[in-house]
Amino acid sequence: MIYIFLAIWLSIACATFFVKQKSVVRLLCGLYIASHIAFAATIFAGGYFTFSSGSLFTFDHAGTLFYLLLVIVSGFVLIHSEEYLKDDTLSSYKQYFALLMLLIAAITGVYFANNIAVTWILLEATTLCSAGIIYHRHSEDALEATWKYLFVCSTGIAIAYLGILLLSAAANNTSLDYDQLGTLITQGNPLYLKVAFLLILTGYSCKMEIFPLYTIGVDANFAAPAPASALISTGLVNAGFLAIFRIYRLYAETAIFEWVQHVMIIIGIMSLLVGALFLRRTNNYKRFLSYSTVENMGIVAIGLGIGGIGVWAAIFHVICHTFIKSSLFLQIAVVRQIYNGYRINRIGDYISINKVGAVGLLLGMVAILAFPPSPLFISELTILAKTLFTNQWWLTVIITVIMCIVLYSVCLRIIRLCYQPNQDELHLSRINRRLSYSALSLMLAAFVFGLWQPDFLLSIIDKIATF
Amino acid sequence: MLLSLIILYIITLTYLSIVERFRNYVSVITIQGWILLGIALLRLHSLDWIELGFIVTETLIFKAIIVPAILQRVIKKTKINRVRTSGTSQFNSLMLSITVLIISTIITYYVADSSVHMVFFGVALYALLSGLILIVLRSRIFAHMIGFLIIENGVFLFSMAIGVEMPILINSAILLDILMSVLMLGMFMTKVDKQIHTDDSDNLTHVKD
Repeated sequence: MIYIFLAIWLSIACATFFVKQKSVVRLLCGLYIASHIAFAATIFAGGYFTFSSGSLFTFDHAGTLFYLLLVIVSGFVLIHSEEYLKDDTLSSYKQYFALLMLLIAAITGVYFANNIAVTWILLEATTLCSAGIIYHRHSEDALEATWKYLFVCSTGIAIAYLGILLLSAAANNTSLDYDQLGTLITQGNPLYLKVAFLLILTGYSCKMEIFPLYTIGVDANFAAPAPASALISTGLVNAGFLAIFRIYRLYAETAIFEWVQHVMIIIGIMSLLVGALFLRRTNNYKRFLSYSTVENMGIVAIGLGIGGIGVWAAIFHVICHTFIKSSLFLQIAVVRQIYNGYRINRIGDYISINKVGAVGLLLGMVAILAFPPSPLFISELTILAKTLFTNQWWLTVIITVIMCIVLYSVCLRIIRLCYQPNQDELHLSRINRRLSYSALSLMLAAFVFGLWQPDFLLSIIDKIATF
Repeated sequence: MLLSLIILYIITLTYLSIVERFRNYVSVITIQGWILLGIALLRLHSLDWIELGFIVTETLIFKAIIVPAILQRVIKKTKINRVRTSGTSQFNSLMLSITVLIISTIITYYVADSSVHMVFFGVALYALLSGLILIVLRSRIFAHMIGFLIIENGVFLFSMAIGVEMPILINSAILLDILMSVLMLGMFMTKVDKQIHTDDSDNLTHVKD
């Protein structure tokens, strides 16, 4: 079934490259997102949930949950992009939307892939689509960011491929399906397994935006149009997370699982640290939000590293982060329309210019800092509690200290944007409060999850975290 | 025969460390494409026509003809012929390359077990490290691209070491990856010439904090 929908999505995306009017592009976007909604409905209503489609894809709990998030975020991104790029030429307008559609299709494939090679191929495909989106502005910075993104991602993906080859050797070259690999590698050479994990983690880190290859994700978000950054920073990051999580789950039955968890903790701490330090250093609101993603993914990696309830918390954190970060990027897209830039030191007084947008950002600040009723409060508290209960007090101290730096930086930056005197030229005619309201709705959805978690969501997360 | 090809491949990697002209880099890439074709044909015994066609496409047509042709075009268009003065002399680069070769041999000796082909494993490791060294030591973007291609060739050899019969799907993805990167290089070098006026990665520092 997924092949039919993949063909539909690719057809719509390819057709977008050739249309002659912007209104047709909008129509195709509507058709595209409707087909995704139809696909999601088919999975549930058609009884495909948890079943395989062809030999390469499975609609498992993790894939389906993240796909639902992707559909929601994509809908918002397409609507915001339309407004954001309305002054673009037809050529760049249609190219952007076509690439965005291809990117969403590739991410969907990554979510549902049940074969490690297919995951790898589709992640490679996301690199190519993202590169086109990052280069959308055709500016010097965009060119530089695109080059770095393509070069580092390609090298990273090649490194990940080496890891896959080693994993395959450890499994005696029998199968690359996740289900079978889990059993096959239990008897594999531990040294190969360790090297394979390190290589795959390093390669995929460029997608999940964690240490060591986190920088290109930041550059990509900086150069891409802000609505696309919302997708890259959530949908694509989730694809990286899921790719790493599936590998992590494979190792659960091996003798080196404890070592794997230690690696995740180290990676998590490093990501948290660089994220926190650069949150303080950067002078650009989009890079600021990207470093916040690095910091949050660091927390997720630590959650996986401590295991047990930490894995549950990590998954819940990723889900809620998707709503919060996409909302913040969409809010910052409105900010850019008004100030024509993202310079932290110069722009301000947003509260009197666009109250709805400012409230959205302030709520985002509360949410991203995990103040109650933010859903991240639940996940971060769970992770901290787990570290305390397992006598890893040193980890509790490290996380707490770094979180204090994050708290100071985020508060300072967001409050500045809302209240400091503005020094830049304003483009008040471009204010579109409907977009601010729209982005705010995503933030409110996140707060709903902070106050009340539906049973079906909890049950799905339980199933993903139990292995 | 197989051993001769592998020795030749090692020589190309060592030679790479002392190369300064871009045309010579392209020659090395071309020769490696031919060697990889020979190795693949000798190593993979049970090939059907489809697999054979794919390997010829990947190694000969792609790695030995199309990619070098694009690189030559870039050289011609940008008129950049040599690596800029780097931090290391040719002698030091050669010594570094030989050290890496020795390290690769030692690592292979201790790491490789019966499930991998020892010689291929060692050469693949040497290729990977050579590519990385090229990227780190040379500042010109063109040299970085060559480093990336060397790494991709190393990955190809690595798959030979493991003995994986790579599905066509994966092979296609690798080809797509390389092609896109090389096209990107072409675009980048020509666009950069107009927009940023640099071919040196040291100057690509606008996007940072």
